[in-house]
Amino acid sequence: MTRFTLVATTAVAALAFAGAATAESFKIGITQNNVGVDSYQTTYEKAFIAAAEANADVEAVVLDAGGDVARQIAQMEDLIQQEVDAIIIWPTNGEAVIPAVRKAHKAGIPVIVTNSNIAEAGFPFVKSFSGPDNITQGSRSAEIMCDKFKAMGIENEAKVAHITGQPGYTTAIERAKGFEDRLPEVCPNVTVLDTQPGDWNREKSQKVMEAFLVKYDDIDGVYAGDDNMGVGALNAAKAAGREGIIFVGATNFAVGYEAMERGEYWGSIYQSPVDDAEAALKTALDVLNGMDVPFLNYFDTPKITQDNQSNFTKPVF
Amino acid sequence: MASGMLSTFLKRGAIWGFILVELIFFSIAGEQLSLSDKAFMDLDNMLLLFKQSAPIGIIAIGMTIIMINGNIDLSVGAIFALAAIVLLDSMTWPIFAGLGDWAIPLAWILALLAGVLLGALNGFIVWKTGIDAFIVTLGSMLGYRGLVFIYNGENPTSHLNWTLVDFAEAQWLGLHTATWFLLGATFVIWFIMNRTVHGRNAYAIGNNREAAVNAGIRVGPHMMINFMLIGFLAALSAVVFYSESGSVNPNDGELYELWAITAVVLGGTKLTGGSGSIISTFGGVLAIQLLRKGLGHIGADTETVNLVIGLILIAVLFLDRQLNIKGKEELRV
Repeated sequence: MTRFTLVATTAVAALAFAGAATAESFKIGITQNNVGVDSYQTTYEKAFIAAAEANADVEAVVLDAGGDVARQIAQMEDLIQQEVDAIIIWPTNGEAVIPAVRKAHKAGIPVIVTNSNIAEAGFPFVKSFSGPDNITQGSRSAEIMCDKFKAMGIENEAKVAHITGQPGYTTAIERAKGFEDRLPEVCPNVTVLDTQPGDWNREKSQKVMEAFLVKYDDIDGVYAGDDNMGVGALNAAKAAGREGIIFVGATNFAVGYEAMERGEYWGSIYQSPVDDAEAALKTALDVLNGMDVPFLNYFDTPKITQDNQSNFTKPVF
Repeated sequence: MASGMLSTFLKRGAIWGFILVELIFFSIAGEQLSLSDKAFMDLDNMLLLFKQSAPIGIIAIGMTIIMINGNIDLSVGAIFALAAIVLLDSMTWPIFAGLGDWAIPLAWILALLAGVLLGALNGFIVWKTGIDAFIVTLGSMLGYRGLVFIYNGENPTSHLNWTLVDFAEAQWLGLHTATWFLLGATFVIWFIMNRTVHGRNAYAIGNNREAAVNAGIRVGPHMMINFMLIGFLAALSAVVFYSESGSVNPNDGELYELWAITAVVLGGTKLTGGSGSIISTFGGVLAIQLLRKGLGHIGADTETVNLVIGLILIAVLFLDRQLNIKGKEELRV
């Protein structure tokens, strides 16, 4: 009997040991772009810390480069020197950090890029990119607009104006491409009148829209690369007294959400910093657990319109 | 007399005492708070400390001469960014295309030349107009930064050259490339300030400009040379740093002038000029990087780092003032 208990306790102890071994905690370091510069990044950091604390297997070293490339590179070196298990980086500059990422890669530390990707020259040294899929965001905006035109019964004659983000920015290029490719598929008879850059800037977008309104007597819909520009265009239309235009944006901002509540703005794409942060941590953990992670690991950014906006909390930015 | 020596000792030695306190604090606190299994004073970590000090350090060394002169240069951050653009962009110029990697030294020379020219412009205006250097370099800070934005708008200027990256990442006798440049700059400027006529003149001008003029020192050209020197060092700092990173944002180097001035003041150089030491500035640079590194090591936020450095700076200035007041009272009695 005593012999049996001894065996049993040993077995239990061994099991407990095995359990402890598999639940070995991961040290994950993150160096962020510039916390505090806007509320998206501030909320992202809070959400990341909360997610890391909620997970007993994770110890997180949370750093912020304050927008300074030199400081971010120094933080990468420090994390490599501290021998963390994985590094998450929100690049201050998609190219300047490539050598630092290569250093981590050489040291055998997997690197996950979050939110905005680094340049292609750095791809061989990166395990995965976790962030929004801007092409899908663009095509979803096209679907939102087309569905609304169908509901209004004007899908065969509607005319659309398109305001893009800053030229040269990957996010701007990808969203525009997603929109332009998808719109003819779902609404083949809708015509795009004009496309002009609004540079992510509300005032610039307002000016672009003012010019559109003078140039075109009939505009049924406006797609803007983000809500900031979308609201700028909306303001121009309101000032000119032009009503009935369907505004669709992307990256739902608080101003866009409020305009939707007032019934002036139709829809957008909901991109949550909380989802962004949690997706980055999960990607890092999946990589560390040896799971197969796609190189471009997107988190979902759902459609938001006046019809379903009550399901979403108002964005903080 | 004895108390004068004591206050000098306190001022000169304070920064090294402070570094020692930092090392001890972060070693002990690191044991408790850090997630890392490695000690804070790990050799690799200390080697990194020197390397990471280089970008601001090289500029701060130059800033010391300017401040010993009784001047200040606020445009170094903008010169840093402009020199980086010249470095990275010139490597892609078609006229250098046939040279292969020989374009690298040419790009270095062009960037350093750009720094010297921008510094010379500052110095020339200070010399010929007699306007305070603070105002002149405040203007050129905005102007040079404007040039940076005109050049490539909001977009980064990039050219990644792996030969250059490998050179910049190399370690020779354990020390990184950037560390060698920091040590080299420190030694050369130390030599100029302590072993040459130019260095002695710098102290004389800072102490009493009138007396220096009466003694036959040509103050204008002297200051212009110093502004060229700091322009060169700001460009050197950029060249060393961007050789490794290969891409410059238009807002890079912003606030570097303030970090450099902070390091100089932490090292005990007087804002009014006439006194200061290159070696102590080197200590000030190390102290700042140690704080950044150490607070990161124990898991503090970036904001905390800035707060602590700000508090320490005020404490240092207060200490400096107290010691100076005591010195003066002593003389009167």
